[in-house]
Amino acid sequence: MMDQHEDPKFEQWLQRAAKSYHTPQPTPRDAMWKRIEDARRNKHVIELRPWMRWAVAAAAVLILGIGIGRWSAHQSAAGSGGTVAAVTDSAAPAQSDLSYQIAATQYLSHTEAFLTSFRADIGSHGAANTARLARQARDLLSTTRLMLDSPAAKDQRLRSLLEDLELVLVQISQLDPARDGHDTDLITQGMNQSNVLPKLRSAIPAGPVPVRTEGAL
Amino acid sequence: MDESQLIARVRAGDSAAERALYNAHVDRVYRLAFRLAGDDALAQDFTQETFIRAFDRLGSFRGDAAFSTWLHTITTTVVLNGLRKVKRFRQREADIDDAHEIGVSHRHAEPDLKARLKQAIDDLPEGYRTVFVMHDVEGYTHEEIGAVLGVETGTSKAQLSRARAKLRVALSDFAGEWVT
Repeated sequence: MMDQHEDPKFEQWLQRAAKSYHTPQPTPRDAMWKRIEDARRNKHVIELRPWMRWAVAAAAVLILGIGIGRWSAHQSAAGSGGTVAAVTDSAAPAQSDLSYQIAATQYLSHTEAFLTSFRADIGSHGAANTARLARQARDLLSTTRLMLDSPAAKDQRLRSLLEDLELVLVQISQLDPARDGHDTDLITQGMNQSNVLPKLRSAIPAGPVPVRTEGAL
Repeated sequence: MDESQLIARVRAGDSAAERALYNAHVDRVYRLAFRLAGDDALAQDFTQETFIRAFDRLGSFRGDAAFSTWLHTITTTVVLNGLRKVKRFRQREADIDDAHEIGVSHRHAEPDLKARLKQAIDDLPEGYRTVFVMHDVEGYTHEEIGAVLGVETGTSKAQLSRARAKLRVALSDFAGEWVT
Protein backbone atom coordinates (compact mmCIF):
# COMPACT_ATOMS: atom_id res chain seq x y z
CA MET A 1 0.00 0.00 0.00
CA MET A 2 1.22 3.44 -0.87
CA ASP A 3 2.30 5.63 2.03
CA GLN A 4 0.40 8.90 2.32
CA HIS A 5 3.65 10.80 1.67
CA GLU A 6 4.57 8.81 -1.43
CA ASP A 7 4.22 10.43 -4.80
CA PRO A 8 5.98 8.47 -7.54
CA LYS A 9 5.91 11.40 -9.97
CA PHE A 10 7.53 13.72 -7.47
CA GLU A 11 10.12 11.12 -6.48
CA GLN A 12 11.09 10.43 -10.09
CA TRP A 13 11.35 14.13 -10.81
CA LEU A 14 13.32 14.73 -7.62
CA GLN A 15 15.81 11.95 -8.37
CA ARG A 16 16.43 13.39 -11.83
CA ALA A 17 16.70 16.97 -10.61
CA ALA A 18 18.92 16.08 -7.64
CA LYS A 19 21.63 14.71 -9.93
CA SER A 20 22.72 18.32 -10.35
CA TYR A 21 23.27 18.67 -6.57
CA HIS A 22 27.00 19.20 -5.93
CA THR A 23 28.01 17.60 -9.22
CA PRO A 24 31.47 16.12 -8.63
CA GLN A 25 34.47 17.08 -10.71
CA PRO A 26 36.82 14.44 -12.17
CA THR A 27 38.69 12.72 -9.34
CA PRO A 28 42.17 14.24 -8.89
CA ARG A 29 43.66 10.81 -8.17
CA ASP A 30 47.37 11.52 -8.52
CA ALA A 31 47.37 14.80 -6.60
CA MET A 32 45.49 13.26 -3.69
CA TRP A 33 47.65 10.14 -3.67
CA LYS A 34 50.79 12.25 -3.45
CA ARG A 35 49.43 14.12 -0.44
CA ILE A 36 48.31 10.89 1.21
CA GLU A 37 51.80 9.43 0.84
CA ASP A 38 53.42 12.61 2.18
CA ALA A 39 51.04 12.81 5.14
CA ARG A 40 51.65 9.17 6.06
CA ARG A 41 55.39 9.72 5.93
CA ASN A 42 55.08 12.71 8.27
CA LYS A 43 52.56 11.14 10.59
CA HIS A 44 52.72 10.96 14.38
CA VAL A 45 53.39 14.32 15.87
CA ILE A 46 51.63 14.30 19.22
CA GLU A 47 49.10 11.52 18.91
CA LEU A 48 47.32 10.72 22.16
CA ARG A 49 47.03 6.91 22.17
CA PRO A 50 44.36 5.28 24.36
CA TRP A 51 46.81 4.55 27.18
CA MET A 52 48.02 8.14 26.96
CA ARG A 53 44.48 9.34 27.62
CA TRP A 54 44.65 7.54 30.94
CA ALA A 55 48.01 9.18 31.54
CA VAL A 56 46.49 12.55 30.70
CA ALA A 57 43.64 11.90 33.12
CA ALA A 58 46.06 10.76 35.82
CA ALA A 59 48.26 13.79 35.24
CA ALA A 60 45.22 16.03 35.46
CA VAL A 61 44.34 14.51 38.82
CA LEU A 62 47.92 15.06 39.94
CA ILE A 63 47.88 18.66 38.74
CA LEU A 64 44.63 19.22 40.59
CA GLY A 65 46.14 17.59 43.66
CA ILE A 66 49.22 19.74 43.41
CA GLY A 67 47.02 22.80 43.03
CA ILE A 68 45.06 21.91 46.14
CA GLY A 69 48.28 21.02 47.94
CA ARG A 70 49.90 24.31 47.05
CA TRP A 71 46.81 26.19 48.02
CA SER A 72 46.55 24.46 51.36
CA ALA A 73 50.32 24.73 51.89
CA HIS A 74 50.14 28.42 51.16
CA GLN A 75 47.31 28.74 53.67
CA SER A 76 49.39 27.09 56.37
CA ALA A 77 52.81 28.39 55.27
CA ALA A 78 53.01 30.90 58.06
CA GLY A 79 52.79 28.14 60.66
CA SER A 80 54.48 25.09 59.07
CA GLY A 81 57.17 26.42 56.71
CA GLY A 82 55.63 25.19 53.41
CA THR A 83 57.23 21.73 53.10
CA VAL A 84 54.34 20.34 50.98
CA ALA A 85 55.16 22.62 48.08
CA ALA A 86 58.81 21.58 48.15
CA VAL A 87 57.86 17.91 47.85
CA THR A 88 55.46 18.37 44.93
CA ASP A 89 57.68 20.67 42.87
CA SER A 90 59.76 17.77 41.51
CA ALA A 91 56.78 16.36 39.56
CA ALA A 92 55.78 19.70 38.04
CA PRO A 93 57.92 19.85 34.82
CA ALA A 94 56.49 16.65 33.25
CA GLN A 95 52.94 17.71 34.03
CA SER A 96 53.64 21.13 32.65
CA ASP A 97 54.80 19.56 29.34
CA LEU A 98 51.62 17.54 29.21
CA SER A 99 49.55 20.65 29.73
CA TYR A 100 51.38 22.26 26.81
CA GLN A 101 50.63 19.19 24.69
CA ILE A 102 46.94 19.46 25.46
CA ALA A 103 47.03 23.17 24.66
CA ALA A 104 48.87 22.33 21.43
CA THR A 105 46.16 19.82 20.44
CA GLN A 106 43.46 22.42 20.97
CA TYR A 107 45.43 25.04 19.08
CA LEU A 108 46.04 22.65 16.16
CA SER A 109 42.32 21.76 16.00
CA HIS A 110 41.38 25.42 15.87
CA THR A 111 43.99 26.17 13.21
CA GLU A 112 42.85 23.20 11.13
CA ALA A 113 39.26 24.45 11.23
CA PHE A 114 40.44 27.93 10.25
CA LEU A 115 42.58 26.80 7.31
CA THR A 116 39.89 24.41 6.08
CA SER A 117 37.38 27.22 6.24
CA PHE A 118 39.87 29.58 4.55
CA ARG A 119 40.29 27.24 1.58
CA ALA A 120 36.54 26.79 1.24
CA ASP A 121 35.55 30.44 1.76
CA ILE A 122 38.24 32.51 0.15
CA GLY A 123 37.00 34.66 -2.69
CA SER A 124 33.37 33.84 -2.00
CA HIS A 125 32.34 36.83 0.11
CA GLY A 126 34.50 39.70 -1.08
CA ALA A 127 36.58 42.24 0.80
CA ALA A 128 34.79 41.92 4.15
CA ASN A 129 35.52 38.22 4.19
CA THR A 130 39.18 38.80 3.36
CA ALA A 131 39.48 41.31 6.19
CA ARG A 132 37.87 38.85 8.61
CA LEU A 133 40.21 36.05 7.56
CA ALA A 134 43.23 38.32 7.94
CA ARG A 135 42.13 39.29 11.44
CA GLN A 136 41.62 35.67 12.49
CA ALA A 137 45.00 34.73 11.02
CA ARG A 138 46.66 37.47 13.11
CA ASP A 139 45.05 36.06 16.27
CA LEU A 140 46.21 32.56 15.44
CA LEU A 141 49.65 33.84 14.51
CA SER A 142 50.11 35.22 18.03
CA THR A 143 49.22 31.81 19.48
CA THR A 144 51.51 30.07 16.98
CA ARG A 145 54.45 32.17 18.10
CA LEU A 146 53.66 31.51 21.74
CA MET A 147 53.54 27.78 20.95
CA LEU A 148 56.90 28.01 19.18
CA ASP A 149 58.40 29.49 22.34
CA SER A 150 56.75 26.92 24.61
CA PRO A 151 58.02 23.48 25.73
CA ALA A 152 55.52 21.95 23.26
CA ALA A 153 57.89 22.95 20.46
CA LYS A 154 60.64 20.73 21.87
CA ASP A 155 59.15 18.04 19.62
CA GLN A 156 60.96 18.60 16.31
CA ARG A 157 58.04 17.51 14.15
CA LEU A 158 55.64 19.78 15.97
CA ARG A 159 58.14 22.64 15.69
CA SER A 160 58.42 22.06 11.94
CA LEU A 161 54.63 22.05 11.61
CA LEU A 162 54.32 25.22 13.70
CA GLU A 163 56.88 26.93 11.47
CA ASP A 164 54.92 25.93 8.36
CA LEU A 165 51.74 27.24 9.96
CA GLU A 166 53.44 30.47 10.96
CA LEU A 167 54.39 31.08 7.33
CA VAL A 168 50.87 30.42 6.04
CA LEU A 169 49.26 32.54 8.76
CA VAL A 170 51.64 35.43 8.10
CA GLN A 171 50.61 35.36 4.44
CA ILE A 172 46.90 35.27 5.27
CA SER A 173 47.24 37.99 7.91
CA GLN A 174 48.78 40.29 5.27
CA LEU A 175 46.00 39.79 2.70
CA ASP A 176 44.80 43.06 1.28
CA PRO A 177 40.98 43.18 0.92
CA ALA A 178 41.34 45.64 -1.98
CA ARG A 179 43.34 43.28 -4.19
CA ASP A 180 42.12 40.43 -6.37
CA GLY A 181 42.50 36.73 -5.65
CA HIS A 182 46.07 36.38 -6.90
CA ASP A 183 47.55 36.40 -3.38
CA THR A 184 45.06 33.87 -2.11
CA ASP A 185 45.82 31.57 -5.04
CA LEU A 186 49.50 31.73 -4.10
CA ILE A 187 48.69 30.94 -0.48
CA THR A 188 46.53 27.94 -1.35
CA GLN A 189 49.16 26.70 -3.81
CA GLY A 190 51.77 27.01 -1.08
CA MET A 191 49.52 25.15 1.36
CA ASN A 192 49.07 22.34 -1.16
CA GLN A 193 52.76 22.12 -1.97
CA SER A 194 53.85 22.03 1.66
CA ASN A 195 51.01 19.65 2.58
CA VAL A 196 50.16 21.77 5.59
CA LEU A 197 46.60 20.55 6.08
CA PRO A 198 47.31 16.79 5.83
CA LYS A 199 50.27 17.25 8.22
CA LEU A 200 48.06 19.24 10.56
CA ARG A 201 45.36 16.58 10.54
CA SER A 202 47.90 13.86 11.13
CA ALA A 203 49.05 15.75 14.20
CA ILE A 204 45.58 15.88 15.73
CA PRO A 205 44.16 12.81 17.46
CA ALA A 206 40.83 11.57 16.05
CA GLY A 207 37.57 12.80 17.57
CA PRO A 208 36.23 16.21 18.50
CA VAL A 209 38.39 18.50 20.64
CA PRO A 210 36.55 17.97 23.94
CA VAL A 211 37.02 14.20 23.54
CA ARG A 212 40.72 14.55 22.85
CA THR A 213 41.28 16.29 26.15
CA GLU A 214 38.50 14.49 27.97
CA GLY A 215 39.26 13.83 31.60
CA ALA A 216 42.11 16.27 31.65
CA LEU A 217 40.17 19.10 33.13
CA MET B 1 44.01 -10.74 -7.75
CA ASP B 2 40.88 -10.50 -5.61
CA GLU B 3 40.37 -7.80 -3.00
CA SER B 4 41.16 -9.95 0.03
CA GLN B 5 44.57 -10.79 -1.46
CA LEU B 6 45.13 -7.13 -2.21
CA ILE B 7 44.29 -6.21 1.38
CA ALA B 8 46.66 -8.90 2.68
CA ARG B 9 49.45 -7.43 0.56
CA VAL B 10 48.71 -3.93 1.86
CA ARG B 11 48.91 -5.26 5.42
CA ALA B 12 52.28 -6.79 4.52
CA GLY B 13 53.52 -3.33 3.53
CA ASP B 14 53.28 -3.59 -0.26
CA SER B 15 53.04 0.03 -1.50
CA ALA B 16 51.95 -1.01 -5.02
CA ALA B 17 49.02 -2.84 -3.44
CA GLU B 18 48.15 0.29 -1.46
CA ARG B 19 47.96 2.27 -4.66
CA ALA B 20 45.89 -0.44 -6.35
CA LEU B 21 43.43 -0.51 -3.45
CA TYR B 22 43.25 3.30 -3.54
CA ASN B 23 42.63 3.30 -7.30
CA ALA B 24 39.84 0.75 -6.92
CA HIS B 25 37.88 2.88 -4.43
CA VAL B 26 38.93 6.50 -4.69
CA ASP B 27 36.36 7.57 -7.29
CA ARG B 28 33.39 6.52 -5.21
CA VAL B 29 34.85 7.94 -2.00
CA TYR B 30 35.62 11.27 -3.67
CA ARG B 31 32.17 11.41 -5.30
CA LEU B 32 30.43 10.87 -1.98
CA ALA B 33 32.68 13.40 -0.22
CA PHE B 34 32.03 15.96 -2.96
CA ARG B 35 28.27 15.39 -2.93
CA LEU B 36 28.14 15.91 0.81
CA ALA B 37 30.66 18.76 1.04
CA GLY B 38 29.86 20.60 -2.20
CA ASP B 39 33.40 21.90 -2.42
CA ASP B 40 36.41 20.45 -4.24
CA ALA B 41 39.02 21.43 -1.66
CA LEU B 42 36.98 19.98 1.19
CA ALA B 43 36.18 16.84 -0.81
CA GLN B 44 39.88 16.30 -1.52
CA ASP B 45 40.75 16.84 2.14
CA PHE B 46 38.09 14.40 3.29
CA THR B 47 39.11 11.79 0.69
CA GLN B 48 42.75 12.01 1.74
CA GLU B 49 41.82 11.76 5.40
CA THR B 50 39.63 8.72 4.67
CA PHE B 51 42.45 6.81 3.00
CA ILE B 52 45.03 7.84 5.59
CA ARG B 53 42.77 6.49 8.35
CA ALA B 54 41.85 3.40 6.34
CA PHE B 55 45.49 2.43 5.74
CA ASP B 56 46.37 3.12 9.37
CA ARG B 57 43.50 0.99 10.65
CA LEU B 58 43.51 -1.76 8.07
CA GLY B 59 44.67 -4.13 10.80
CA SER B 60 41.29 -3.74 12.49
CA PHE B 61 39.36 -4.66 9.32
CA ARG B 62 38.11 -8.17 10.02
CA GLY B 63 36.33 -8.77 6.72
CA ASP B 64 32.88 -9.25 8.31
CA ALA B 65 31.50 -6.68 5.88
CA ALA B 66 32.69 -5.74 2.41
CA PHE B 67 35.81 -3.55 2.34
CA SER B 68 33.86 -0.87 0.46
CA THR B 69 31.29 -0.74 3.28
CA TRP B 70 34.04 -0.38 5.88
CA LEU B 71 35.73 2.32 3.78
CA HIS B 72 32.49 4.23 3.25
CA THR B 73 31.81 4.14 6.98
CA ILE B 74 35.13 5.92 7.47
CA THR B 75 34.24 8.33 4.63
CA THR B 76 30.91 9.38 6.12
CA THR B 77 32.46 9.74 9.59
CA VAL B 78 35.29 11.91 8.25
CA VAL B 79 32.99 14.03 6.07
CA LEU B 80 30.25 14.59 8.65
CA ASN B 81 32.74 15.36 11.44
CA GLY B 82 34.67 17.66 9.12
CA LEU B 83 31.54 19.50 8.00
CA ARG B 84 30.40 19.92 11.61
CA LYS B 85 33.78 21.38 12.47
CA VAL B 86 33.65 23.85 9.57
CA LYS B 87 30.05 24.75 10.40
CA ARG B 88 30.90 25.38 14.07
CA PHE B 89 33.86 27.51 13.07
CA ARG B 90 31.82 29.56 10.58
CA GLN B 91 28.99 29.98 13.08
CA ARG B 92 31.36 31.21 15.75
CA GLU B 93 32.87 33.74 13.38
CA ALA B 94 29.45 34.77 12.07
CA ASP B 95 28.33 35.47 15.64
CA ILE B 96 31.26 37.83 16.02
CA ASP B 97 30.84 39.56 12.69
CA ASP B 98 28.45 42.32 11.82
CA ALA B 99 24.93 40.95 11.27
CA HIS B 100 24.44 43.20 8.26
CA GLU B 101 27.44 41.70 6.54
CA ILE B 102 26.07 38.18 7.02
CA GLY B 103 22.70 39.16 5.61
CA VAL B 104 24.24 40.55 2.47
CA SER B 105 26.49 37.57 1.88
CA HIS B 106 23.66 35.03 1.92
CA ARG B 107 20.92 36.90 0.12
CA HIS B 108 19.70 35.45 -3.16
CA ALA B 109 17.29 37.26 -5.47
CA GLU B 110 14.67 35.12 -7.22
CA PRO B 111 16.61 31.87 -7.19
CA ASP B 112 15.86 29.43 -9.99
CA LEU B 113 14.81 25.84 -9.48
CA LYS B 114 18.36 24.49 -9.35
CA ALA B 115 19.37 27.01 -6.68
CA ARG B 116 16.18 26.39 -4.68
CA LEU B 117 16.69 22.63 -4.84
CA LYS B 118 20.27 23.00 -3.67
CA GLN B 119 19.22 25.24 -0.81
CA ALA B 120 16.40 22.88 0.17
CA ILE B 121 18.77 19.89 0.27
CA ASP B 122 21.38 21.90 2.17
CA ASP B 123 18.72 22.84 4.74
CA LEU B 124 17.74 19.22 5.47
CA PRO B 125 18.75 17.87 8.88
CA GLU B 126 22.12 16.13 8.64
CA GLY B 127 20.77 12.57 8.88
CA TYR B 128 18.06 13.15 6.27
CA ARG B 129 20.49 14.86 3.90
CA THR B 130 23.07 12.11 4.20
CA VAL B 131 20.55 9.37 3.42
CA PHE B 132 18.97 11.41 0.62
CA VAL B 133 22.31 12.12 -1.05
CA MET B 134 23.46 8.53 -0.72
CA HIS B 135 20.21 7.01 -2.02
CA ASP B 136 18.61 9.44 -4.45
CA VAL B 137 21.74 11.14 -5.73
CA GLU B 138 24.50 8.52 -5.55
CA GLY B 139 22.35 5.41 -5.88
CA TYR B 140 23.30 3.47 -2.72
CA THR B 141 20.77 0.87 -1.59
CA HIS B 142 19.11 1.11 1.83
CA GLU B 143 21.05 -2.00 2.87
CA GLU B 144 24.34 -0.30 1.96
CA ILE B 145 23.32 2.92 3.70
CA GLY B 146 22.28 1.02 6.82
CA ALA B 147 25.61 -0.82 6.94
CA VAL B 148 27.68 2.33 6.31
CA LEU B 149 25.83 4.57 8.79
CA GLY B 150 25.26 1.82 11.34
CA VAL B 151 21.46 2.13 11.31
CA GLU B 152 18.61 -0.26 10.50
CA THR B 153 17.43 -0.44 6.90
CA GLY B 154 14.02 0.75 8.09
CA THR B 155 15.61 3.84 9.62
CA SER B 156 17.28 4.65 6.33
CA LYS B 157 13.95 4.28 4.50
CA ALA B 158 12.14 6.42 7.05
CA GLN B 159 14.77 9.17 6.85
CA LEU B 160 14.60 9.17 3.06
CA SER B 161 10.82 9.42 3.17
CA ARG B 162 11.00 12.36 5.58
CA ALA B 163 13.69 14.04 3.50
CA ARG B 164 11.53 13.79 0.38
CA ALA B 165 8.49 15.11 2.26
CA LYS B 166 10.48 18.13 3.45
CA LEU B 167 11.81 18.75 -0.05
CA ARG B 168 8.32 18.53 -1.48
CA VAL B 169 7.14 21.25 0.88
CA ALA B 170 10.22 23.39 0.25
CA LEU B 171 9.78 23.11 -3.52
CA SER B 172 6.00 23.43 -3.62
CA ASP B 173 6.30 26.58 -5.80
CA PHE B 174 7.60 24.31 -8.54
CA ALA B 175 4.82 21.68 -8.27
CA GLY B 176 4.02 22.13 -11.95
CA GLU B 177 7.38 20.60 -12.78
CA TRP B 178 6.45 17.15 -11.53
CA VAL B 179 2.65 17.19 -11.83
CA THR B 180 2.70 17.65 -15.60
